[in-house]
Amino acid sequence: MRIKNITWTDPKLQILTLPLLVVLFLFFLIPFAMTVMLSFQITKYYQVVWSWDLTTWKDVFTHSYYWVIMARTLKMAMICVVLCVSLSLPVAYALVNRIPSMENHVKILIVFAFLADAILKTFGWVLFFDRSGVLNGFLEMLGFGPAASDILFTPTAAIIGMVYNLLPYTIFTIYLSMARIDRDLIAAAYDSGASKFRTFWEITLPLSKPGLLAGAVLVFVLGLGAFLEPKIMGGGTAPLAAELIRQTFETRVNWPLGASLTILVIGIGALTLIFFGYLLIKLTKLQENTT
Amino acid sequence: MSYYRFETRLANFILYGSVIITLVFFYIPIATLVAFSFTESRFLTFPIEGFSLKWYGALFAEKNFLPALWGSLKLAFIVTILSTILGCAAAVAWMRFKFRFQRTFQALTFAPLLFPQLMLGVVMLLWFSILGNFFGFSMSLWSAVLGHVVYITPFALIIIAVQIHGFDDTLEDAARDSGCSNWEVLREITIPILWPGIFSAGIFAFLLSWGNFYLTYSLSGTSRTLPTFVFSGIANGSSPIFPALATLTFIPAMLLVGLADFFRRRAADRLKSGPTDI
Repeated sequence: MRIKNITWTDPKLQILTLPLLVVLFLFFLIPFAMTVMLSFQITKYYQVVWSWDLTTWKDVFTHSYYWVIMARTLKMAMICVVLCVSLSLPVAYALVNRIPSMENHVKILIVFAFLADAILKTFGWVLFFDRSGVLNGFLEMLGFGPAASDILFTPTAAIIGMVYNLLPYTIFTIYLSMARIDRDLIAAAYDSGASKFRTFWEITLPLSKPGLLAGAVLVFVLGLGAFLEPKIMGGGTAPLAAELIRQTFETRVNWPLGASLTILVIGIGALTLIFFGYLLIKLTKLQENTT
Repeated sequence: MSYYRFETRLANFILYGSVIITLVFFYIPIATLVAFSFTESRFLTFPIEGFSLKWYGALFAEKNFLPALWGSLKLAFIVTILSTILGCAAAVAWMRFKFRFQRTFQALTFAPLLFPQLMLGVVMLLWFSILGNFFGFSMSLWSAVLGHVVYITPFALIIIAVQIHGFDDTLEDAARDSGCSNWEVLREITIPILWPGIFSAGIFAFLLSWGNFYLTYSLSGTSRTLPTFVFSGIANGSSPIFPALATLTFIPAMLLVGLADFFRRRAADRLKSGPTDI
């Protein structure tokens, strides 16, 4: 397809882009700037006082309570990324290379599971893991004692719920990357005597890196903001950042603090992504130098 | 057994196994909900006692259910139209043109996806309450519509951009050479070819908006949608009406996903078989 050069004075480009730009400017950029501004104010008797100082930020940095929650959130998000990516790799590979006849059916099954209402599915997990739920019912039939598994309302349950809701993102991004790999490359690797696992490691995996990274970033960001699964399945015993922010706004009505915590989470997320991006570039360069 | 055969077996075991495990994993809560919706007991315990449809009746008798359903439908419908149009226009600009600040434009349109959803909702909530104080309005379905549009448009954009990627623009030239006006080219060639992408984007947008909890929760004020209705319901202890609600909402979602796939496959077949009678 030809790609035409076009300038901003062309009404065609203006019609195509300006509506979305206006929406994003008014309801995404400005709100974000407002949040940054708000984090420099303080609150008194549930009212925002325009003070323009660092009181709220000092508050954030001196209370270890917030940092414990931030660390826990970061850990949970990273566990989700690792689990989602390692589960998605074989599934995406099988979709592309093993089950071409079933590919479409499996894809539709996954898309449907993905698009079904997340909160209802999370509730489904509660019914499944409940003390008198489906899992324990089956375990009892098999001869285990009553309420043999007791993972509901633990962080493990929260992780299961989060992976459940985030897994489709990595499956589909990795699948899209793998589907575009030239099959001749893989055939060439086999012909030169590479084993299946070596071919996967040296050809398929590096070539599916764009999808893998996109999926990992999406899962990481969504994991940082998770609130439903930790609350409904995790039982609220170990609150994460999103729950903390919600409470700060709703229960404590401390908007400046909520705003600075929001920026803190986004900042931690951005720094983590930059750090891993930097690491990845370094590693790629190292690999290139050795081969 | 040779190493080669052992390796093949191990690879097959891992690959088929992971697909089966993933599908089972995805359908455990869905199957659980459907099974529990037919229970007779008011306690959601396993094994399920009896078979009845009484909780479906109880669901419709619940006074908040129909307003929430109506709210969800309105919200998803408006968001679908807005996001699909905005996403379609932006996708054309992304894929077919080259212009200054294109990278900035692309980064900006994708930026909302890099925000945790609850934080995006909170950030917009702050702004809407400031605007609301100033202009004298309060949060309603409309603020939720704007939140959803910001978040869902990038998804619609990607789906349509993929469709544009495979677009053969010599068809447009051919139509123009045969004397079609710009409008006719758009109506007879461009839109019909891009239609499967636009249609799937619309269905995706609808279902994403329909199931969205985080943004609606922060932005909808006092108006209810199904996800917020369910959230406040299960926070007060699990009631047997929610499995019934889940089962009812799964059916149209399944039909929509199937329909989108049907259109996509039919379009792909047509492309493969080449021009037929027009």
